[in-house]
Amino acid sequence: MADMTLEMVQASQAGMKALGAAIAVGATGIATGIAEMSIGSAAVGATAENKDIFGLALLFVVIPETIVIFGLVVALLLLF
Amino acid sequence: MFTPEDMSKVLVVAPKDQIEAVVKKLYSLNLFHIEDYVEQEEEGYEGYRIGMPLPHGSDTSRELLKLRAVTNAIAVQADDVSQKERIASSRLRSRIEQDLPSVEEEVESLLNRRSRLEAEAKEIEQVIETLSPFANVAVDLDLLRGYDNLAVFAGYINAKPDLDVPHEVLTASSKSGNLLILWVSAGYRNEAERALLDAQFQAVPIPDESGMAQDRVHYYKGKLSDVEKEIEGVNHALDSLKEKHQGFLVACDELLSTDAEMAEAPLRFATTDNAFLAEGWIPGKDVHTFIEGMSVATGGRAFATELAIDMEKDVIPVEYDNTSFAKPTEFLMDIYSRPKYTEIDPTLMVSIIFPIFFGLILGDVAYGLLVLALALGLRKVITGDEGQMLLKILRNAGISSIIFGFLFSEFLGFGIPGIEPLLPNRHLSIGHGGGHGPAVPELMMMTVWIGILHITLGRIFGIVNHARQDHGKHRTLAVLANVGWLLVMYGILIAILSMFALPLMPDLTGWPAVMAGLTMPAFIGLGMLIVGVLFIVRDSALEIVELPTILSHVLSYARIVGVGLSSVAIAGVVNLIAIGMLIEPQLEHLTAFGVVIIIVGAVVFIIGHILNTILGMLGGGLQSMRLHYVEFFTKFYKGGGKKYDPFGMIKKFSED
Repeated sequence: MADMTLEMVQASQAGMKALGAAIAVGATGIATGIAEMSIGSAAVGATAENKDIFGLALLFVVIPETIVIFGLVVALLLLF
Repeated sequence: MFTPEDMSKVLVVAPKDQIEAVVKKLYSLNLFHIEDYVEQEEEGYEGYRIGMPLPHGSDTSRELLKLRAVTNAIAVQADDVSQKERIASSRLRSRIEQDLPSVEEEVESLLNRRSRLEAEAKEIEQVIETLSPFANVAVDLDLLRGYDNLAVFAGYINAKPDLDVPHEVLTASSKSGNLLILWVSAGYRNEAERALLDAQFQAVPIPDESGMAQDRVHYYKGKLSDVEKEIEGVNHALDSLKEKHQGFLVACDELLSTDAEMAEAPLRFATTDNAFLAEGWIPGKDVHTFIEGMSVATGGRAFATELAIDMEKDVIPVEYDNTSFAKPTEFLMDIYSRPKYTEIDPTLMVSIIFPIFFGLILGDVAYGLLVLALALGLRKVITGDEGQMLLKILRNAGISSIIFGFLFSEFLGFGIPGIEPLLPNRHLSIGHGGGHGPAVPELMMMTVWIGILHITLGRIFGIVNHARQDHGKHRTLAVLANVGWLLVMYGILIAILSMFALPLMPDLTGWPAVMAGLTMPAFIGLGMLIVGVLFIVRDSALEIVELPTILSHVLSYARIVGVGLSSVAIAGVVNLIAIGMLIEPQLEHLTAFGVVIIIVGAVVFIIGHILNTILGMLGGGLQSMRLHYVEFFTKFYKGGGKKYDPFGMIKKFSED
């Protein structure tokens, strides 16, 4: 560690930031996917039974999207 | 504009002999939303029964059923017919009596002939199937059956059967296996059967034909093609019949449907021994014409009057009342839910804000032009009211994308030369390095502002809704609760601003600390927060759990930047691959192979940008809709209004 130059430290910091941003988007994306999985299948089933609730069903499905948006916000703030 | 069409409740009472005249008038007015009469035991409803259909009703229904059977069989659809001129009802009625039966008969006889021919074709196919195993057998089929003292077996077999009784064998191999024909004396039938069974014999039926099998197959194939030709002829005749009569048939369908609908209307009225009552809704502005029309149509024998509306009990049907600009957006509203009669109809706000959000997300001149071209080009292809509404929404979204494309200075992901972006920069430095990249903090703050303003608007609508709908103490509490939500939101904002200086926000950090390191704005913000929470709790303590949504809903508008930047990034990557990696290097030393690569690059460029436009349309449309449905509507909108569906029909093919 002792023989690291300043440039190397800066570069590794930038790399860590990029990794952090990637984890933020990736993990929240997976989480959103898992959450929307069961809501989505239930919503499609409910819409098949009664077409009128499509709007409400869509609303339920997109609620977990907020998670990945937060991930994206964090990632963008990390990078820029 | 912000309220649905004003509705009036009206009652029509007339003697029973006027029922037909009244129904006819109601139908032609196309204004009266019938409130179905339900038989009930309540006080004041004794003696009323549901009415009987008009006398010609069952005949009309039968006629309609027959007509539908014919139109279904030859696939006549009203949407495919473009009628230049409408047929007068009286002429149509006489044609229904004179011409319709002959047309129906003609179609039916053709249909019968076709099904007979199809059955015949099926039979012939079956015969060919039984004959086909014997196609390679060089023996007259007569020799395979009709014996008194011989048993004949025919079938596929793999090994030679082990048979020790006198017999005669003939084999013929074909693609489907080895055919074996075996003759034995009738007395040895059982032994032969056992031996064949041991050799895994699969019997096939012996055809009831004479002559060589091959010739017979040939003969039947000829016959089959004759029958098929005949079926084709019948289909052709049906097609030309359809071509000739479809305008007439859809007009008949329309007329008979209206007749049937009119005949069944009394089923929705209340009747006594000598009179009937029809209750329903009409737009307030039409009350006068309605009452007058009723009296004229019956020679003054029908009584129509406006009734008082009971806001608690009555379910008032809702008809939008919007300017023509906002009309298409009613489609987006109906997907969610039609507004209730008493609440604010936000269609106009949605019709303005939806394209703005869409434009902020897509924000590219070229993509905007593509969306606009798509919306205009599909106008002829997609018929139907809902499709047209959707295309108009798309058209507005496309125009908005072009405007925001100029504001962001973007064209297919490139900057527009000579135009500095007026809004925070979204250009990504993909491939070329350098450049200062997108102004993410400014973009974020921009979306936070959009969110705060959008939510404030929603809360103001909420205040108006509660002030209008609720009564007494609850009304004050509900209004204050909405004020409380606003106080909490702005309180948090001021408190944050007093500690951090953020771009695009007023700087409140410069104030001197008053107490415990906190400045004056911080105290104001905290005060607003506490008062706001108190207002909320007074209305409903459970709402406390919803407090974090203030933060999450405002930050949710960051999706405008997130989705927008991702579409810019995809555009940049497409440009890098197509131009930077494929086309540019080849242009330096042009070779024959290089030209191919350049063409590949052009294809990548075109497909990539088309895909990105589709993605952008989906993303831009869905995310903007979601921001309205989840973040905006939850602040004030309940929905669940009943659709105003007047009794009557706009005739397309016939006229009175």
